[in-house]
Amino acid sequence: MSFEDDETPCTYVGSFPKGFGYGPEEAEIEGPVNPGEEKPRILLMGLRRSGKSSIQKVVFHKVSPNETLFLESTNKIVKDDISNSSFVQFQIWDIPGQIDFFDAAFDSEYIFGGCGALIFVIDAQDDYMEALSRLQMAVTRAHKINESIKFEVFIHKVDGLSDDNKIETQRDILQRATDELNDAGMDNIHLSFHLTSIYDHSIFEAFSKVVQKLIPQLAVLENLLDIVISNSKIEKAFLFDVVSKIYIATDSSPVDMQCYELCCDMIDVVIDMSCIYGVRDIFLSRARDDGAFDNESASFIKLNSGTVLFLREVNKHLALVCILREDGCENRGIIQYNFKCFRAAIQEVFVARNKQANKSTGHPQMDLLVNGQNDDELDSDETTQTNGGAMASGHGLLNGSLLQDDD
Amino acid sequence: MYITEKRITSSLVTWEMNAIISLCHFCELHGPKILFCTQPFRPQEPRNLYGDDLETNIAHRLKSVSVAPNPSADAHSTPIFSTGSKDQCEGCKSVQTGYVSTDEDAQVSYVSTQQPYNPEVFARIRQACIRSLSSEVCPGREGPIFFGDKQCGHVLSYTFYIPDNQARGMHRWYSILIVMMDKIYLLNSWPFLVPHLRIVIENLQKKASKVFDQEEAKCPQRPLRLGAVVDPNNFIKQRGGNKPARSLQELTGDKSVFRMLHVAFLWILKACGNRITETLLEAPPTEDTIIDMEKQEETEEGFIKLFTRKADDFDSPHEQKESEMRPMEDKELDHTICETEVEDPLAPVVKNLRHLRKILESSNFLSLAHHVVVGNQVIVSGQQRPLVKSILETLKSFLPKGCCRVIPYSNKYEESWKCNFLGLSPEVQLSQHVTSSELFVHIEILPKLNILPLKEVETPLNSWSGPESDASDPDFDGDTRLDDFQFKMSSTVTLPPRVPTVLTRMLMALQNKNLSSEVVNAVFTCLKEEWMNKVKVLFKFTKAGGNRNEEETKKLLQIVGAREEDKQLLKFWITGLSMQYRQHILSTSSHSYKS
Repeated sequence: MSFEDDETPCTYVGSFPKGFGYGPEEAEIEGPVNPGEEKPRILLMGLRRSGKSSIQKVVFHKVSPNETLFLESTNKIVKDDISNSSFVQFQIWDIPGQIDFFDAAFDSEYIFGGCGALIFVIDAQDDYMEALSRLQMAVTRAHKINESIKFEVFIHKVDGLSDDNKIETQRDILQRATDELNDAGMDNIHLSFHLTSIYDHSIFEAFSKVVQKLIPQLAVLENLLDIVISNSKIEKAFLFDVVSKIYIATDSSPVDMQCYELCCDMIDVVIDMSCIYGVRDIFLSRARDDGAFDNESASFIKLNSGTVLFLREVNKHLALVCILREDGCENRGIIQYNFKCFRAAIQEVFVARNKQANKSTGHPQMDLLVNGQNDDELDSDETTQTNGGAMASGHGLLNGSLLQDDD
Repeated sequence: MYITEKRITSSLVTWEMNAIISLCHFCELHGPKILFCTQPFRPQEPRNLYGDDLETNIAHRLKSVSVAPNPSADAHSTPIFSTGSKDQCEGCKSVQTGYVSTDEDAQVSYVSTQQPYNPEVFARIRQACIRSLSSEVCPGREGPIFFGDKQCGHVLSYTFYIPDNQARGMHRWYSILIVMMDKIYLLNSWPFLVPHLRIVIENLQKKASKVFDQEEAKCPQRPLRLGAVVDPNNFIKQRGGNKPARSLQELTGDKSVFRMLHVAFLWILKACGNRITETLLEAPPTEDTIIDMEKQEETEEGFIKLFTRKADDFDSPHEQKESEMRPMEDKELDHTICETEVEDPLAPVVKNLRHLRKILESSNFLSLAHHVVVGNQVIVSGQQRPLVKSILETLKSFLPKGCCRVIPYSNKYEESWKCNFLGLSPEVQLSQHVTSSELFVHIEILPKLNILPLKEVETPLNSWSGPESDASDPDFDGDTRLDDFQFKMSSTVTLPPRVPTVLTRMLMALQNKNLSSEVVNAVFTCLKEEWMNKVKVLFKFTKAGGNRNEEETKKLLQIVGAREEDKQLLKFWITGLSMQYRQHILSTSSHSYKS
């Protein structure tokens, strides 16, 4: 671990409740997990000072971008377990840039063997020639160890560059990196490039794309979202991981960066509102410190541009956020109904996935956890149905007021 | 000890990997690096690594090399582990040359360099360094941890940070490693090593935080970093991270910080080595070993405390090496002759029991031995100090160590409760009450009267002059130095007619010419231990069970295989039991009474 809450006073973005995060970081817990069941791994690599730890802190620990100036250099592999929802389950390994982990002293088979994606971070504000040669080396070696590994290149810290400069840099890096790979005869390797910065949403967007590639059910989810939007007159729908604001799936229409930012901001607003007004028992909520955000949360926000934002929780960590035209939300009942169908379908995907997991794991504890979770979710689903869509929780207050406005 | 700065080259340094202390840090540019490394060299041990190149004195070699430094050495010893283009920065450098301290008494040189020059050692330390700083997780981040294996050595690693307001995160990580091949030794030294390492570390941190506070007061980093505006014109220049890391000297504001570390590390190495010495234990300790151990007792501070028992065990200091004990004797026994003269190696001495038997003839030897084993005082008087002493030393082997209370040479009679072996100068006359009340056997060593022809003295006087027909015994062939003396033995005690069983067996071993003297010694040790066990049973029997009548005691003796004639011996030998055993029996028996 290279970061401690009690040591550096970290400012969370907005009024983000502590208990709602992913919990304390767990470094180097290597349980006796059989390799087949291990969570996919995302490796963060790159030269020292390229911003690997900052990315990890900002995306997954809600550290303010300014605070990353005071992060110490990472001296060992920091493993961060991200396993909140059933879809988003992976480990992030933050690898210090000073150390060559392909060296014989390290078990590179272990590090790269179970790896799902390798993110190589290049500092766009620095001279990137050395970074490119390291990238080339890392890619070829990691590919040798693990052929199924996916390579992502983050051209990072682009906030310091002008727009022309950004394009020029990306073009240059892409050209050089692919040329080098072709020269090495590794043209079968595909590199994806992203322009990123921790000061805007580009890093979340880029990380979303990385994570999506690790979700085997992505095609099903995208298909479901397509069905929902086409039947509900929705323009764009995202399935969000609420904590990290990574979207794990979207419909097949192209993603507009502004739309994405809008949706991210909406999540912030809803969480903040829930924290202030959505608490029925303030003491209970304080004790749990869960931000009063649960699978009943829902919100409509009408913007004066004639656009309506609609948020609906799928479960504690997943939310569906949609953008639609004002005239599209005339028939709110249809949207609610369609959402219920959508949620039921996602539950089915969960169940199918867990059944698979149940078969393969021999751990009774794991099974209990998984099954228990399922029952819980199904139960809550039923209660929603009996209440006939009325907001049972404290959020009713918030939602109710919005609904009234609408009527 | 002296400290000299020397040029050390890779060609001459060999290694003894008992323990190596090194300081490592995590360089912002180069990753984990070895900064400073202190290791002991023992020149007297044979060198396997360099074959015939037997060095007798490393200090000497170092000196000679310092005169003509080898320029090629530096190129040879550059570290290979780095990914950066520039291999060295200020932060990765410690000492150009190194420090050498020589402990002349122990023949050990402590050499501090930036890196160990032996490639094998370097590989191990480097491995440990990388593990310590970038693999192992220490709970609480700062603190000691242990890791390692048989191949790479076992490592105690103490990680800590040094405040540096130029560094990312405002501090830099360092660790002190102690690498040993012996896991048990390292773990047993843990309670010693960790507090002392902490002292060194706290010292460094205190110095560094002083520097840090000064710099922070001058130029606070937080607003500076937050306010830094990055624009396309200045971004490469203003990125502070490309500045070379600062050296430890600069961080602590102490030019001689590595000199201090050298002294601290070598003290830790040396004190740690002195702290635990290993003894090979082949069997449970004999009663004699326990007695020896009781005399030496290590105190908390690491000094050897001489075990001094109260009045009745007044003897202990005398059993120590005479030369060591002199000062103490001076105070306690001012009447004892304490000449520090060097003993003449040619002075006539008695070598062993067989020799003594030759000199005294068997019948006299037998009765003398009998006196010894039942605890009668043995007084040897004579002009020749070494001879007197050697006789007493030789006779001691009849008894367990706990029973021997020796005053090697005195100008005054000492009572038998003080000693059972007493050397006296010939001038001392035994007073009337001594001869009447004490149980003793007196051996006088007298010079042969020169006026008498040698042969006439020998036979008629029935005195026991030197060996008469030595031709058969090669051991004492030609040793005629004792020919000039005669020995007179007198005793106030009449011995019981039957010899104790154990003595009979000892004498049988002595008589058996097939046994070498080593074998005889072993036999004696066994016999003494066997009978000490019987003594223990008897002691337990008398102390534990309350009053015992005659009948019961007799039965017990029968069981342990002792006879009537052994009783006196057993009674005497009880006094020779170790304190440890006595206390054990007394505490357990009193305990059993209560319950």
